[in-house]
Amino acid sequence: MQKLIGVAALSLLLAGCSDRLPADATEAQSGDGTDTIELAEFPDRPYWGDTHLHTDVSVDAFGFGVRLGPEDALKFARGEQVTATTGMTAKLDRPLDFLVIADHSDAMGATRRLYDAPRMMVRDPTLRRWYDMMHESPEQSTRAVAELITAAANDEIPEALRDPAQQEKNTRELWDRHLDILDRYNEPGRFTAFAGFEWTLMPGGNNLHRVVMFRDGSAKTGEILPYPGIDGEVTGLWDYMDAYEENTGGKVLAIPHNSNLSNGMMFELTGPDGGAMSAQYARRRAAREPVVEATQIKGDSETHPFLSPNDEFAGFGVAGWELGNLPLTAKATPDMYAGSYVRSALLRGLTLEQQLGVNPYAFGLVGSTDSHTALATGDEDNFFGKHTGNEPREGRAMEGQNLGTRVGRFGWHYLAGGYAAAWARGNTRAEIFDAFMRREVYATTGPRMVVRLFAGFDFTDGDWDGDWVRAGYTRGVPMGGELEDSGKAATFLISALKDPDGANLDRVQVVKGWVDASGEAREKVYDVAWSAREMDGASNSPVPPVGDTVNRSEATYENSIGASELRVTWTDPDYAEGQRAFYYVRVIEIPTPSWVLFDAKRFGLDLPADVVEANVIQERAYSSPVWLRPRRAPGDGPPIMDER
Amino acid sequence: MIRRLLRDPLAHFLIAGAAIWGLLARGGDPVDPAERTITLSREQQAGLALGFERTMGRPPTDAELDAQIDRWTREEVLYREALRLGLDQGDPVVRRRLAAKMDELAGAEVELAQPSEAELREWLAENPGAFETGGLLTFEQVYFSSESGALAARDGEEPVGQTISLPRAVEGMEERDVAQVFGMQFAEEVGRLTAGSQWQGPIRSGYGWHLVRLNRRGEGSVPPFAEISERVEAEWRSRTIQARREKAYEVLRDAYRIEVE
Repeated sequence: MQKLIGVAALSLLLAGCSDRLPADATEAQSGDGTDTIELAEFPDRPYWGDTHLHTDVSVDAFGFGVRLGPEDALKFARGEQVTATTGMTAKLDRPLDFLVIADHSDAMGATRRLYDAPRMMVRDPTLRRWYDMMHESPEQSTRAVAELITAAANDEIPEALRDPAQQEKNTRELWDRHLDILDRYNEPGRFTAFAGFEWTLMPGGNNLHRVVMFRDGSAKTGEILPYPGIDGEVTGLWDYMDAYEENTGGKVLAIPHNSNLSNGMMFELTGPDGGAMSAQYARRRAAREPVVEATQIKGDSETHPFLSPNDEFAGFGVAGWELGNLPLTAKATPDMYAGSYVRSALLRGLTLEQQLGVNPYAFGLVGSTDSHTALATGDEDNFFGKHTGNEPREGRAMEGQNLGTRVGRFGWHYLAGGYAAAWARGNTRAEIFDAFMRREVYATTGPRMVVRLFAGFDFTDGDWDGDWVRAGYTRGVPMGGELEDSGKAATFLISALKDPDGANLDRVQVVKGWVDASGEAREKVYDVAWSAREMDGASNSPVPPVGDTVNRSEATYENSIGASELRVTWTDPDYAEGQRAFYYVRVIEIPTPSWVLFDAKRFGLDLPADVVEANVIQERAYSSPVWLRPRRAPGDGPPIMDER
Repeated sequence: MIRRLLRDPLAHFLIAGAAIWGLLARGGDPVDPAERTITLSREQQAGLALGFERTMGRPPTDAELDAQIDRWTREEVLYREALRLGLDQGDPVVRRRLAAKMDELAGAEVELAQPSEAELREWLAENPGAFETGGLLTFEQVYFSSESGALAARDGEEPVGQTISLPRAVEGMEERDVAQVFGMQFAEEVGRLTAGSQWQGPIRSGYGWHLVRLNRRGEGSVPPFAEISERVEAEWRSRTIQARREKAYEVLRDAYRIEVE
């Protein structure tokens, strides 16, 4: 796009300095953290993180106005105070344990460079218009990026932004610098900084984005560049990942997200070409994409009321987002939903496994933010917005917030953002990454509940009296694990501890999905533990609502209802031998005010009654499932987990 | 004296600054305007080949290297002509880029420096703050869902509380981790207790009430140098770079009078 003229004059003076400055980081910081700290015998606490954060390196985030870079993002995540782009100071109540900065690999840094370029060098008329808009005002800048995203979705990106040779050079410079920063902030035992990027596959505006996350430090990640391709093929990404692992001995995984904006394309029953899915495709997908991001600012993808009509808690974070794909260039119809939501994908996985012998959708669940402000905020009372255009200010809750169009999605449809919890033996790149690989992770919509799930065949209530965590690991499998059918119903040890600085718990549920004898995929939600309340008659089903202590106008609630901890030994009452099934835990908090009510209080807003009611929410956690698989026949291939 | 001056990065910075100033004063042209020869050394060619290899994962063919050289030459010719035309003037990118280079120059020496252990130890002694671990806490806690339950149990020898999935005993845990596991409220309350063998409380947490026996509260301390030498070096580097930049800027800035109209 433009040449950085004049630089060579200085490089003459820099004789003796190499092109790439040596990293300040130590060996412990720049590796994967193996053997740097003492590890617990079993994962002893969840480590909290955000796997999906954008900074000013992202083409859209910069255009939306953010001026904070990766270093600010890391400082903020590990608990330091920073000044947000719009001038407010920002700080997390509690630091995060890990962070994946996932800037878009496409046109990495391009808007920043466009913005910085001399106007006369910007020849492309579209680019020049965007350039002028970006310089005119923050509002115009936001509009320019909305146009850019729409153009990307419609494959109309100006050629000048696509020049691969120029891109590669720019990206290399950014990536090397970025990796050095990550290593410097990566402190085994205290804070983990992962290298990653977002791969923005988006055919026709349908969101097939993946966050790519590396286990390794700069010694290995410096060997490659982020993989670009708005219009590529997902198999191309997997090829790239294979090549990385072969060439460097490192490890990498991909996390699909915003399936809710994919118009049914994220979890298809067919292969990417529309034909039957091949076992090879299914195997690669399962191996490469062990975890899916189920909840984030742009909505929640667990399930849709259309798919789960008997689930009274379905529909969280669905409003607005359900209307169509990412830029709303194509509307969604209900027949698409099964390919857009996580629970139905887990079900499809079982069906496909029956046909192919391998389950492409045997994934664990995490939450994250997808914040484009460089600030990984997930708390309702500290929401810094989806992007800089909606950092805290009076109008943000009621404004149309569409990318590209102005129909149907409003500021208040944004969720405050989720977090990922990883059960690991210590806080290092290797330990946390490996927890993702074995799916021993879970999603929350922001609160930090502590959720344990173990599955086995001989757990009893008596296990709670002893070291039940040890019992769980030695006599069963944790979340993310697989059990082989043994002819009897599986029993689960389930514990949910509230966020110590958050709301009490309403109930714990088990969501079971299975394929019945006729081959039909089925789902059922069981209430398995709940806080004390007035019950209707003798039946536990349905468990009545927990109540509601939310003061709408003050944005407060009381922990006078709900429980601190809910734990239960639960045995599947509907077990049938030979059934393929998954079980995951959903933990529901008591009602609390969302960020919108905090905004209303802060700015003295007078919100419509329906918006107020929609923003009394029950936040939640989704564990990764445990799978129950038929007995292995002699001819079966190895389980996916072994291949990983 | 000269030797010392040559080792001092600040001196480098000033010399470089003066040189650049000199160049810019001459119209921003670092090449002799009369010079019409462009030489691409073997080293530069090797650099181009290496750049190709890093991107594509294989060395360039002869034809590809020729193409690289052509591109480089083209860029160099245009670059020189641009300087002759003064296109670097009044350009915000060039301006920002050069300013950033000056910052990098100020810090460059520190990026490469290998400080001695003695230097680092001394620096650590002067800047313990970043390495100080909060006092390590060793305590036992018993949980009650109600305050009255906790009060009733306090008078017994060994209080028996209610079940909750929190550690009953904690050995040498940093305050920040206590906050992560037990919550901020609990960490704050425990922070107010004095160590002793008696049961204290009840104190409040997000879960309910706790009787606590705070067996030991370590003073906040800086770990021995040997344990954190790598971190010290990294922190020394990043802070020193920052300080150099600020200082270099101050020196340069003092030579100006700024008038904001």
